[in-house]
Amino acid sequence: MGKTIQLMGIIVLILGFIVSPAFSAEPLKIATLTDMSGPYAELAGWGNINAAKMAIEDFGGKVLGMDIEYVYRDHQCKADLANQKAIELYEKERADVIFDCPNSASGLAVTNQALKYKKIFIAVTSGTTRYTGDLCNRYTFHYAYNDYVLATSAGMWAADNLGKKWYTITADYAWGHDLLKHFSAALQKRGGTLLGNEMVPLGASDFSPFIIKAMNAKPEVLALLNAGKDTVNSTKQAVEFGLRKQTKIVHALLFPEDIKAAGPEVFADNYVTASWDWKVDQPGVKEFVAKWMKKFGRPPNWFNAGNYSAVTQYLLAVKRAGSKDPQAVVKALEGHRFSDFFASPGYIRPEDHKRVGKAYILRAKKPSEIKEPWDYFQIVGVVPAEQAYQDVKETGCKMGDF
Amino acid sequence: MNIQFVIMQLFNGLIMGSIYVLLSLGLTIIFGMLGIINFAHGAFYMFGAFVAYTIMAYLIPNFWVALIVGPIVMAIFGAACEAFILRRLYNLPPLYVMLFTFGLMLVLQDFIRMIYGAAGVPFRTPSSLDGSINLGFMFYPKYRIFLIIITSMCSLGVWLFLSKTKLGAIIRAGTDNSIMVDALGINISKIFTLVFGMGIGLAGLAGVLAAPLQNVSHLMGVDFLVDCFVVVVVGGMGSISGSIVGGLIVGEIIAFGVMVWPPMAHTLIYIFMAAFLLIRPRGLFGREAFHE
Repeated sequence: MGKTIQLMGIIVLILGFIVSPAFSAEPLKIATLTDMSGPYAELAGWGNINAAKMAIEDFGGKVLGMDIEYVYRDHQCKADLANQKAIELYEKERADVIFDCPNSASGLAVTNQALKYKKIFIAVTSGTTRYTGDLCNRYTFHYAYNDYVLATSAGMWAADNLGKKWYTITADYAWGHDLLKHFSAALQKRGGTLLGNEMVPLGASDFSPFIIKAMNAKPEVLALLNAGKDTVNSTKQAVEFGLRKQTKIVHALLFPEDIKAAGPEVFADNYVTASWDWKVDQPGVKEFVAKWMKKFGRPPNWFNAGNYSAVTQYLLAVKRAGSKDPQAVVKALEGHRFSDFFASPGYIRPEDHKRVGKAYILRAKKPSEIKEPWDYFQIVGVVPAEQAYQDVKETGCKMGDF
Repeated sequence: MNIQFVIMQLFNGLIMGSIYVLLSLGLTIIFGMLGIINFAHGAFYMFGAFVAYTIMAYLIPNFWVALIVGPIVMAIFGAACEAFILRRLYNLPPLYVMLFTFGLMLVLQDFIRMIYGAAGVPFRTPSSLDGSINLGFMFYPKYRIFLIIITSMCSLGVWLFLSKTKLGAIIRAGTDNSIMVDALGINISKIFTLVFGMGIGLAGLAGVLAAPLQNVSHLMGVDFLVDCFVVVVVGGMGSISGSIVGGLIVGEIIAFGVMVWPPMAHTLIYIFMAAFLLIRPRGLFGREAFHE
């Protein structure tokens, strides 16, 4: 009798040891920090939150036996609020990773916190090259695009295909200046000339004097280095003054949401770079778009697609690393080559943590060419990754240790 | 920078100035008569643009209909605000009214954002006014010339109404001394409602006219509001001619600033206002007793 009880006790203990990890395994917590009520709410906001949720669901909701928990926060495009929320997410919510973060100033604040808390930050929606330049760190990744890609791809393609005499209208702050620098460099490489530039204060509503000056110079291409409301205003007014009769327009950033907001005739025959478009002919795109359309009634924009892909790649990296420990996951991400509907192929550069891949040149369709809702763009060119993304030696990134 | 560009820029200054004139007319008669500093004025301007958009997108796709119906709708909305809410606040310290108009601004903006989203809505120039006119030395968009003409007509209309009609005389009297007008047996509260409605109607008109020129979004009024206060202060609070002249001056100062040093363009008007007030606190045509 004693021996039987002893045997049962040992069996229970052994069973307990085998079973207990499943009960005590801490969940993996994924967080999205995005703009849900500020100027980028339509572009990012719920779209990116839903993208992350969908990616987690499609992954199965679990990884390495851990449940995946998900939280999100709104930073309203304010850097100080973003800083606060990043601290809240890393410390109070014990998130293992933060995704997204539109608005570069906010993102740079999160990068800081990622290094401090030694947890991962994967920036998707903001564009600054500083994430992977002078402010790079081992915990930060830059996933979907950056300003260099936007400027260089559009600059080189347009110099080759639209004209060599350019004029630029630039939003007068850090982002605009950065874009101007890269656009001019790309233009020069292709033998073009910059006839002139106008610096316009951010948020100006009247672009007419700058447009008139641009028209006087008679450029073949006008580059509008601005985004959102400024893009809409400057383009609307350029069309008003008849600039488009002799000049083609290239944008730094242009989204289907902007086109919907202003009307497609405003943007017809304008060009822009994008990392992805729902009409791209890559394996997996049709299925992803169909699934998204069914759930949300409209196709995803490339920020949404970027977030989905980033979350999925992160989870795959966790699986490869065999643990959710940030340093192990970072090592699993660095140098990883993959192919999914968003990046085909994609490569995460270990030197600066950029997700590198090809870029697309899009032309905004004329209203008569639009066959279905959201069918705003035609893909007219592809720029290979080596040309679109800055050479590692030039980024200025000194990737430190953990 | 050649003479052609300078003239073109002065024209552009007139355009912006015209919008400022319409907005400031409303702001100044509301302040002059009711003593209310209407922080929601920019929001009403924005609301007017959205009312016009809604009419054109869902009811009758005709700009001229929207141009007439929009401001009328806004005038009625403004009158209703005054009659049902503002009226109850007159007995309280002025701060309460200011707080209310500020809050109203936030409510109107978010209301529009909830319905139409944050990105904005498309608003085209009407096809009859598309294209440019050859002015001899340059081409200038037809719609902008139309804007200058219409604003001049409206300003003239408002001025004539206030100076030549009996109702206008009552309003001017009420601006000077509302208690006396009341004592003379005229129903001053009805006049208040009318004036507020008129001011908001003018703001709505400005919104409809400005819509084809810029991004029609829930925040489009924010930029203009502060500049309008400058116009009203420079022109003289409560003065019609002050708003007209002040609006054009401010528009031209900004245009001039944009030509010479763009980042400072908007700051120039504040410097101008500060300098002007040092010399003449009442503004161009303001009433002496009020300020000095």
